[in-house]
Amino acid sequence: MSHDGHHSVVIPAPGPEFLPHTVAHHFDTPVQEFQAAKLGFWLFLATEILLFGGLFAAYFYYHEAYPETFRLGGHQLDWKLGALNTSVLLLSSWTMAMGVRSAQTSQKKKLLVYCGLTVLGAAIFMVVKFFEYKAKYDHGLFVFPEMFHGYDTATGQLPWFKDYHGVMAGVPHGHLFFAIYVTMTAIHGLHVLIGAGLILWVMKGAAKGRFHAGYFLPVDLVGLYWHLVDLIWIFLFPLLYLVP
Amino acid sequence: MTTNVPVIDSHHGTPATGKPNFLNCSSGLMSWAGTLDHKRIGVMYLVGTMIAFLCGGLFALLVRLHLWEPHGMLFSNADYNQIFTLHGAFMVFLFVIPAIPGSLGNMVLPLMLGAKDVALPRLNLLSFYLWLTGAILATLAIVLGGFDTGWTFYAPYSLYTNKAVVTIGLAIFVLGFSSIFTGLNFIVTVHKLRAPGLTWFRMPLFVWALYATSLLQVLATPVLGITVLLVAFERLYHIGIFDPRLGGDPVLFEHFFWFYSHPAVYIMVLPAFGIISELVSVHSRKPLFGYKLIAFSSIAIAIISFLVWGHHMFTSGQSTYAMFAFSFLTFFVAIPTAIKEFSWVATVWKGSIALNSPMLYTIAFLIIFAIGGLTGVILGALNVDIHLHDTYFVVAHFHYVMMGSIALAFFAGLHHWWPKMFGVMYDETLAKIACGIIFVGFNLTFLPQFIMGSRGMPRRYATYVPDFEAYHRASTIGAMVLGSGVALMVFYLVASLLSGKKAMQNQWGGVTLDWHTPTPPPLENFDHPPSVTTEVYDYSTLDLRTTQTPVS
Amino acid sequence: MLALLIQDPAKINYIEKPAPRPEVDAFGQLEKLASTFHDVDGLFYFTYAVCIFFFVLITGVLVFSCVKYRRKTFDQPPASNTTHNTPLEVVWTVIPLIIVMVMFAWGFAGSIDMTTVPYEASRNAYKASAKQWNWTFSYPNDAAKSYNEVWMRVGKPAQFTLESSDVLHAFYVPAMRVKRDIIPGRFQTVWFTPTDIGEYHLFCAEYCGENHSTMYARVHVVSEADYLKRPWDLWEDDTPEKAVKSAASLYSSLCSTCHSINGAVGVGPTWKGLFVKGPDGKITGKQRDVLVKGEKQTITVDDAYIMESVRSPDAKRAAEFPNGGMAVFPPDQLDDRRLKGIIEFMKSLAEK
Repeated sequence: MSHDGHHSVVIPAPGPEFLPHTVAHHFDTPVQEFQAAKLGFWLFLATEILLFGGLFAAYFYYHEAYPETFRLGGHQLDWKLGALNTSVLLLSSWTMAMGVRSAQTSQKKKLLVYCGLTVLGAAIFMVVKFFEYKAKYDHGLFVFPEMFHGYDTATGQLPWFKDYHGVMAGVPHGHLFFAIYVTMTAIHGLHVLIGAGLILWVMKGAAKGRFHAGYFLPVDLVGLYWHLVDLIWIFLFPLLYLVP
Repeated sequence: MTTNVPVIDSHHGTPATGKPNFLNCSSGLMSWAGTLDHKRIGVMYLVGTMIAFLCGGLFALLVRLHLWEPHGMLFSNADYNQIFTLHGAFMVFLFVIPAIPGSLGNMVLPLMLGAKDVALPRLNLLSFYLWLTGAILATLAIVLGGFDTGWTFYAPYSLYTNKAVVTIGLAIFVLGFSSIFTGLNFIVTVHKLRAPGLTWFRMPLFVWALYATSLLQVLATPVLGITVLLVAFERLYHIGIFDPRLGGDPVLFEHFFWFYSHPAVYIMVLPAFGIISELVSVHSRKPLFGYKLIAFSSIAIAIISFLVWGHHMFTSGQSTYAMFAFSFLTFFVAIPTAIKEFSWVATVWKGSIALNSPMLYTIAFLIIFAIGGLTGVILGALNVDIHLHDTYFVVAHFHYVMMGSIALAFFAGLHHWWPKMFGVMYDETLAKIACGIIFVGFNLTFLPQFIMGSRGMPRRYATYVPDFEAYHRASTIGAMVLGSGVALMVFYLVASLLSGKKAMQNQWGGVTLDWHTPTPPPLENFDHPPSVTTEVYDYSTLDLRTTQTPVS
Repeated sequence: MLALLIQDPAKINYIEKPAPRPEVDAFGQLEKLASTFHDVDGLFYFTYAVCIFFFVLITGVLVFSCVKYRRKTFDQPPASNTTHNTPLEVVWTVIPLIIVMVMFAWGFAGSIDMTTVPYEASRNAYKASAKQWNWTFSYPNDAAKSYNEVWMRVGKPAQFTLESSDVLHAFYVPAMRVKRDIIPGRFQTVWFTPTDIGEYHLFCAEYCGENHSTMYARVHVVSEADYLKRPWDLWEDDTPEKAVKSAASLYSSLCSTCHSINGAVGVGPTWKGLFVKGPDGKITGKQRDVLVKGEKQTITVDDAYIMESVRSPDAKRAAEFPNGGMAVFPPDQLDDRRLKGIIEFMKSLAEK
């Protein structure tokens, strides 16, 4: 940050393995910078929640319209795998929180370890998710490569919904549950991947010593993002896997 | 990203004149394309949104020309449908929503707060590039076959038509995030970067209006994002959420769409209210009448606007309870709006009124908005709306609000802050003539539309029954007059940049902080960190000499 | 796009056969009301009057101020520095509030009338089927149907059940002040009592695609005696000439929105040249390329092909229109007798 060397505030590094932080030129104090970024980030999280809010509204609307479809659809999902993933994400939220704590107390190694564990959690989550998707694929509940094909407007037969074993036979619009399931979990999964990428980016900075008791803002914000990803899953799990 | 911004010596109490300002402190394409300065980003937004406005205006003129004859004069029905859709989509998503916050808001908000920049300058630049990406995608969609759904993208037609709906959907998704990030940035800036002494109730009303707008942008736009995303998924994968053939409900789409798009109306109009509040005060040189009530009414409008989306769907067969609630709240939102209009008129009353071009645009706004707002009341009545819904009456009503009020307020603000931004004055005589032409042309275009609408002329018609020919022709003539007024305006504004007279340091005699910086402002806005010790709009503190001192 | 195609005016039936120009009511703003929904007009004019009052008030004060308090010298101070006036602000908050609440209550009561179908109307139930881009009407206790024209008895409340088989449409008769969106997958109803004999416009008011603006029907409100003549069922096919004549009129109300008979390119293929007349006067079908499940084939046009194209249009799509999109006409909407008449009409177009 070369521009404006006049009145930029610099936070010194707490030790030789750390780097100092220069407060952006248009802020007067580090506190102002911290609070501004944090307020902005909370607002961003609100937009994320509203984005998912639309999906939740669609879920409730069609759950109301086709309760049998949703009940039967929910039974096709493996709640044990869902519960496993829920535990993994909860644990990873804890490791992320410990990571933020480590940054605040200038413990560089611990920060790296906790962030690494969080990324591991994200990886386990995605692997489990992959096997769940694969099972649905094998049962013809969504056949991905054929999703791009049009459907037969006369019969309403969808190319991506084959239902080989007829598990959804007898309920109206059996595909709707799986359409909503895949849309919600895929968008959530995308957030998991973005979150993991952000944590890796934090680790890169942490390795250089950018984050310490004087400056841990990015760690804090990425932590908040990760908790949001966790929180959304906590709503998705009972709605999709444990449909009443 | 590194910036090519040189260090400016702003320590010493030397006069601002003759020093580098934000326009000439660095040059070269990269110094603009990579700038983090809110004023330069504002200028880029201004250029971009004005180009979008001119494109949208061109489409409007084509629409009007086509309707000269009952069977249509220029296009096939299919092409006409694309043209009116392009007009709507360009005007709404590329001009009306981003124009005022993006250009004037970016330019003025940090100045009014006494800040060096917005709180998150990088995010601000990202907003602009997202806007640009959206504009490019929208243009790409035209190349890829266009889109003929109307700007509302109602399902299931938007799911079945074989046009580039996915591309324009992506454009709107990206533009949505541009809008969200601008709003987010402004909220943080207002909360965290106010100058010492600038309490909430000393903030200029443009800031209040932008703050209320930003809340709406942040809280409503994500729903539009997920809606267009679902439409894209529906077209690509046939997930069935909106497609009635697959068990979906197209009415759910309408709910989703209007949950965003009604607040979006206020995203568009609140900044316009803010500009008018500033301008009536400055050009009447009188404190704004009912300052607090206007500030609160902005917030009240922002809140109520989330609860009235159903009034776009009075003919869709909603339950009686829904109709009751939506109609009631719709009438309720009329009250804060009426308060604003009355307060502006009361501010002008017994003022010292300078009839210069920004004030003429403001007066044109006040008259046109009275019509636009009052006809909204007619549409709020449930049974009357059943007759008028989806007719030209609605078209005329929202053009009185969107074009006649918002665009005119934007022009008013542009004329007001033009000397501040660029340090030059446009030709005042031409400006007054253009304002008159625009006012006359606008009313000639849209008053006949009220009449034919109330007689049953449906909107989005490529051809029409011959009963309405006279009104359509009057409207088309009006559109040509309006178009020539806008062309004249663009001409003298551009000409002023090339050969305009020097503006005054404080051209109009404003007392808010934006008039306390040198003209044009330096890179970090203020020579000395400002602080505020007086109430807002206190013209007793005005140093009249600054209105007579040209910038050097 | 931007093909600059000039529309063929003859294809639009409301321009070809214009309805009598509607009368304007006493105040000159609305079309004369032809149903019993007086509240719509009453509230419209009440609101209108309130709007004019406030508009004159606002503009008057504004213009007066601009003249009287115009700044003449650059340092002229304002005549007053008032920043608020609480009683005035209360007045201009409370009075508009009362006025709009009156409008709300009046409008709500009126809309309840319009959405509650009276028993008498439900005993006189029509069905209006909307599809891109025409209307099919079914009559109470009558198997016959009519296309883009509907006949109603004066003074008798009637209900319309509305259904759509493709996209959104809206049923709008301005003279009756009724409008209702038609949503695929849902049944909607609308009712009204026509009070004046005459011809009225029926528009589609919800954008439905390319020919939205020509999706037009005419409402004939007739006397009881005329109604009993069943004017919607005038179909004669005793002789081929009569069949062609009846079918020509059916063509212009039903098929002409998409298919031309003069060779002009429309939404669907033209009917010109489907059949050719041989030197011996014998009419034979022409060869044409069609797409069967995307595969190109060449077939000879014959009665069976035309029948199939109407009953299931996507079975063999014309090669020039690979996207298809023609609406299906099942026998309950277009019976075999009429379809045969249409085919006779097509054959009558044959040239040498």
